[in-house]
Amino acid sequence: MTRASSRRFFFVGTALFTLVFIGLTVDTHRRLGSQTHAENITPEVSRGLRVWGRYNCENCHTLLGEGAYYAPDLTKIVSQRGEAYLELFLADPSRFYSEARNGRLMPTLGLSPQEISDVLAFLGWVGQVDTNGWPPRPIMVSGVAIRDVPDVSGSAAADDPVSRGKALFNGSAACSSCHSIAPGAVLVGPSLAGVGARAAAHGEGYLRQSILEPSAYLVPGERFATPQGVSLMPATYAQTLTPQQVDDLVAYLKTL
Amino acid sequence: MTYPSQRVAYGYFLAAVLLFVLQITFGFVMLAKYLGPDPLLNTLNFATAKEIHIDVLLVWLLTGFMGATYYIVPEESRTELWSERLAWIQLALWLAIGVTTVVGFLFGITEGRKFLEMPLPLKLGVVIVMGIFLVNISMTIKKAGRFTATEGVLVGGLAGVALLFVPGLIHFDNYTLDRFYRWWVVHLWVEGVWELVQGGMLAFLLIRLSGADREVIEKWLYVIVGLSFLSGILGTGHHYYWIGTPYYWLWVGGVFSALEPLAFLGMAMYAYSMLRRSRLSHPNSLALHWTVGSALLSTVGAGVLGLAHTWPQVNQWTHGTHITTMHGHLAFFGAYAMINLAMITYAMPALTGQRDEARQTTLGYAAFWLMVAGIFGMTMALGAAGIVQTYLERILGYGYLETQQKMQVHYLMWLFTGTIFAAGVAAFTWDFVTAGVPKRAGEVPRAASAAEAVA
Repeated sequence: MTRASSRRFFFVGTALFTLVFIGLTVDTHRRLGSQTHAENITPEVSRGLRVWGRYNCENCHTLLGEGAYYAPDLTKIVSQRGEAYLELFLADPSRFYSEARNGRLMPTLGLSPQEISDVLAFLGWVGQVDTNGWPPRPIMVSGVAIRDVPDVSGSAAADDPVSRGKALFNGSAACSSCHSIAPGAVLVGPSLAGVGARAAAHGEGYLRQSILEPSAYLVPGERFATPQGVSLMPATYAQTLTPQQVDDLVAYLKTL
Repeated sequence: MTYPSQRVAYGYFLAAVLLFVLQITFGFVMLAKYLGPDPLLNTLNFATAKEIHIDVLLVWLLTGFMGATYYIVPEESRTELWSERLAWIQLALWLAIGVTTVVGFLFGITEGRKFLEMPLPLKLGVVIVMGIFLVNISMTIKKAGRFTATEGVLVGGLAGVALLFVPGLIHFDNYTLDRFYRWWVVHLWVEGVWELVQGGMLAFLLIRLSGADREVIEKWLYVIVGLSFLSGILGTGHHYYWIGTPYYWLWVGGVFSALEPLAFLGMAMYAYSMLRRSRLSHPNSLALHWTVGSALLSTVGAGVLGLAHTWPQVNQWTHGTHITTMHGHLAFFGAYAMINLAMITYAMPALTGQRDEARQTTLGYAAFWLMVAGIFGMTMALGAAGIVQTYLERILGYGYLETQQKMQVHYLMWLFTGTIFAAGVAAFTWDFVTAGVPKRAGEVPRAASAAEAVA
């Protein structure tokens, strides 16, 4: 091989692969609208992206797994924790977390209510993006500690509703991102240890109603609800869970 | 130093070394926050320290690249620079932009896009400065009428740096699209055109240090940079697995980025074989240490450790964990920090009017071995942290915060090994600033050394 032929290899190869790359880029543009639900990019979502940048969020957090590794991934945060909780959290993170207890604390950024609602609209939209199946299992902010080794042996395909409910609780419904099943361990929502017995005391329908209408019964504690008596739990499960899934969750919760 | 105008390289190298110190300083600020508690939570938060750490990295590496080019092009084209004065003005503008950016960050002025946090007006300033640089270099080559393949690859790489900065200026309301084009800058820089810069600098250093035949060196240089583009351009796809882009990127990115180590492996084999065939033993052995070190550690850091988590079936678990941090640190240091330190170490005797063997100081060797030992230890510590994080947080499903508490021991190891690395940086800096400064205009330049005469 001579220098001239190796130079040809460089120029022809580079030109060829650049062309292929540009072709794939054009095709990606063509498909991106449907894959990212671009029709849902409202003015609030666009403003939220700017808030995300202005406050330098991705130099602590990851989003779609990209960013810095000092704070949790936020790809699915809105569906995991709900807007009501996140609004209060962003106004004052120290209300829910402390360095002594959790090891890390987010700084109080002084976001305006408008900025908070915009950035949550943005994060809610990101949560809908089709990410080719990533992450393969939910990434939790907190809640599952080494000491209470998570028993996620439930199976979504099992015949037993308790097993299916357990799989939902720890998996796609992500209940465990806020609720511990260890006695006294408050993550975001109350611990669900012993909830089966408490539910029996409240009567039939308590668990089902608490999933579908979180504000119907409130556990005492200012961390769990706004002063107006609205639960911080997402009120979206009536839309996102099937009746069968709710039955399965109730079956599992009764065993706790 | 054959041509007096080459002394402008000293200014660039001094700035690069001082910015390197600043980068490492902010690295320790971040590490202190990892270990916690954080007394600066609401005054200098992690995100600000992080953007300074990574942006100053880019700036000091580019400063070194430009200084190296101002040193290399006159020797390759056998002429004075077209305008030494313009090169000094360019340096002043470049540093003014850099300082303004960092001060702005401290006051919360940022675009908040990782690696591209600089506000738009300052980014446009960068485009102008890069333009001045490219004009100065092009006019120098045009004036001389002599253009070697080595400087062609080097300058071509830097022109690519300027060109690929442009997609980073554009904003998109669709976050996925914003990410898509951000990688055109970041990936196509460090796994594309920067490899040309590294290849060009490596070829120059090998010609000078080994005395190997230019024809052979330049032939293999084209093969290596050809391989890096062949794999690196479509290898961009490994950033498009999970951000909302079509599924075929998993195949494209996986297959082509798996080929990326070939270019680095080629570079290491090339450096090794050229030195084996070398006809003379250059007295600047320390520069040779850095040169060979760059070829080897970029193969491990960018090549092997990149390959370790580039395949989608692995990456779906490791994406966004400290596995990336492990790869990133060794890759940047091996490929781009070391080639800059090699060039600085090679050029310093000539720039300060000393003999080639004059800068073989104990401190210089200590700097090399401390930095190599430190970065190796950091890579191990971060690798362990990344594996723990992937296993506990991603596979078993423990909470992020609980997992971080289990990783504290690895952060302590990071601190320990990082301190060894920082001692190396301090040694290099002291060795550099005490080496003397270039002679003023009018003084007689040193006679060309034996190595330069052979080349």
